[in-house]
Amino acid sequence: MRPRSRWHPWGMLAPSLVLLVAFFIVPIGVAAYESFFSWDLLTPPRFVGTANYRALFGHGELLHVALRTLGYSAIVVTGTMSLGLAMALLVDRPGAFMAFVRASIFSAYVVSWVAVALLWMWMLDGDSGIVGQAIRALRGPGAPVLSVLGEPRWALVALAVVSVWKLAGYAMIIFLAELQSIPRSLLEAAALDGAGAWPRFRHVTMPLLMPTAAFVGTTTLVTSFQAFDVVRIMTQGGPARATELFVYAIYEQIFLDLSVGRASAITVVFFAMLLAIAGLQLRVWRSRDPVVR
Amino acid sequence: MIATRRDVIRALGAFALAGAGCRRERPAYRDGRLVVTFWYAFGDVVRKVLLELVARYNASQDRVLVDAVHQGDYFEALAKLRAALAAGTAPTLSHVVCEVLPYLSRAGVLEPLDGYDGAGDIPFVRALDQRGAFAGADGEPRVGVPFNRSTPIVFANANMLADERVAPPRTWDDLVEVAHRLTKRSSSGDVRWGFGVPISWWYWAAMVGQGGGRLVEADGRVSLGGASGEEAIRFWQRLVQVERVMRPPPGRDYQAWQSNSESFLRGGVAMMWSTTAYVRYLEDAARFPVVAAPLPRRVRASVPTGGTMFVVIRGAPAEEKRAAWDFVRWMCEDEQTIAWSTRTGYMPVTRTAVRRLEADGWYRNHPNDRVAYDQLADVDPWPWAPDLFRVERDIVEPRLEDAVLTGRDAHALMDEARDEARRPA
Repeated sequence: MRPRSRWHPWGMLAPSLVLLVAFFIVPIGVAAYESFFSWDLLTPPRFVGTANYRALFGHGELLHVALRTLGYSAIVVTGTMSLGLAMALLVDRPGAFMAFVRASIFSAYVVSWVAVALLWMWMLDGDSGIVGQAIRALRGPGAPVLSVLGEPRWALVALAVVSVWKLAGYAMIIFLAELQSIPRSLLEAAALDGAGAWPRFRHVTMPLLMPTAAFVGTTTLVTSFQAFDVVRIMTQGGPARATELFVYAIYEQIFLDLSVGRASAITVVFFAMLLAIAGLQLRVWRSRDPVVR
Repeated sequence: MIATRRDVIRALGAFALAGAGCRRERPAYRDGRLVVTFWYAFGDVVRKVLLELVARYNASQDRVLVDAVHQGDYFEALAKLRAALAAGTAPTLSHVVCEVLPYLSRAGVLEPLDGYDGAGDIPFVRALDQRGAFAGADGEPRVGVPFNRSTPIVFANANMLADERVAPPRTWDDLVEVAHRLTKRSSSGDVRWGFGVPISWWYWAAMVGQGGGRLVEADGRVSLGGASGEEAIRFWQRLVQVERVMRPPPGRDYQAWQSNSESFLRGGVAMMWSTTAYVRYLEDAARFPVVAAPLPRRVRASVPTGGTMFVVIRGAPAEEKRAAWDFVRWMCEDEQTIAWSTRTGYMPVTRTAVRRLEADGWYRNHPNDRVAYDQLADVDPWPWAPDLFRVERDIVEPRLEDAVLTGRDAHALMDEARDEARRPA
């Protein structure tokens, strides 16, 4: 179809473009500009050049936040995808009971992050939480109480596990939908050719699931980068900043530490990192075999 | 160009925050009464007491209606207040932690209250008032009125003290000794900690003073207590990692405070440092007698003040500011001051209220409240430094936790903190 005027495509794109410019491009531009100022929202801003970046890089603070965020995302994405796929394979069976199991697992995804965080705080409590007690039992008699959320080595892992628990139901449903759309004839043909369960999964199911896996991976990655509620409720970035992820660090700088310039500098670096990851992801997926996709 | 861009940000902020992108020029009325919006930051019992007092004020006259709106904890409320100030949608009245008062005052967003009717006549307890709670604030206009004020204090399980035949510690050395006696480890791995304290700026500031140090020197240089600041960190490190008599820090901000109190009430901690504001809550909730004691000294006794002060927002319409002041003044009358302090545990902020409490035998019947009040003699004022809050939240607080949990060298850590404090925000 050819447009009647050269402005028609722009007219069609205009609503999206306006929103994109107003809520994405302009704010990022403003953040980039603000990152060169010292400003606390209330007193006049002062130009400080690259001081905000130097301060963040100089202390290694930014690097730590970036590594923490990447580590958290790596656990969340791999954990969610693996657990979601495993559960999808397990519950891909007919019957009312399986429907109940599927609904139960998915329900965690529907519950708010705040409720999930509060629930897990209670379960992880070293003194009285069910998970805290289980960890203690696993460590053997006489082991001291371990406050997982108060331990810098474990707090981030604990947050990632909570996120995986919440998101796995979502991944399961998406994988399940794709699993159920795979023609049975393909699997039957492979079975007639002598393929066992694992080769059928490896060479028939997995390739057909790849586009879905890409979708689940991307959406989970985006969600993991946006992690805020779980940090805010469970650890407030502690202990010893061990769970300070990008979005929480931005919030803390701007609202708690009164530093708009620093927060803007973190935002710009965060944006650059996301851009790099998105570019990498796009490159990887574009290089894949179009038949498989 | 810059002004236009900032206007856009402010307008967007106002839209996002309040659903209305304009600053109020005219006072708000409801049912013919002038509305004073009051943002507060309390939960549980304190919130209940405050709302009862607000309802009592609203019922006591028919001109002003105070509309109290809950805004989370102190720091959440402050974050919202700052955003609302920038967006021009701030309430008329709020209350803020003491340490942020110099910063907000310098920013020019708080109403100077000296000229308001009767402002100079309220007989505030000096240590709790703006001019006594801050050093170097005598020449500053009054922008804060003491509201819920407190100091750090020791709470101990009296039964456990009696079982071990020990008294609350009077010095840091005593503290180590007593905490050892009170710490019990069972064969199943359960530990009853002898001592607990949230790893927080407030308690660290107390220890800096006890070591004879100051956060900011007379020439305005941020020294963070010098050697005393480092000694305070080393003392915590020793209690947690070497002596193993102090409960490892359970989290940040008020989560740590709450966790500490819960553990104390459960019998998991025998003795803790907490706030005088918890005296009523702990006495009511504990299934054992709670005894309060002053914080121990190192070279001298020292405590900072805590809690918040009422602030009236400068940008509010004049009628609302006058009405807000009327409510604040009403809250400072003896009857309300006594109701507030006796029901919550916060300090009575006026001398006349204290005299009435003494005459009525309140302190005789509540010796823990007496301990808290007497400790006001040891108050070290905060420096009137606009950067104080940034130094607290951004520079010192995260490092304290880091030092205690990871055992980082206190001297290197505080050097780094001092460097950062000298750098502009």
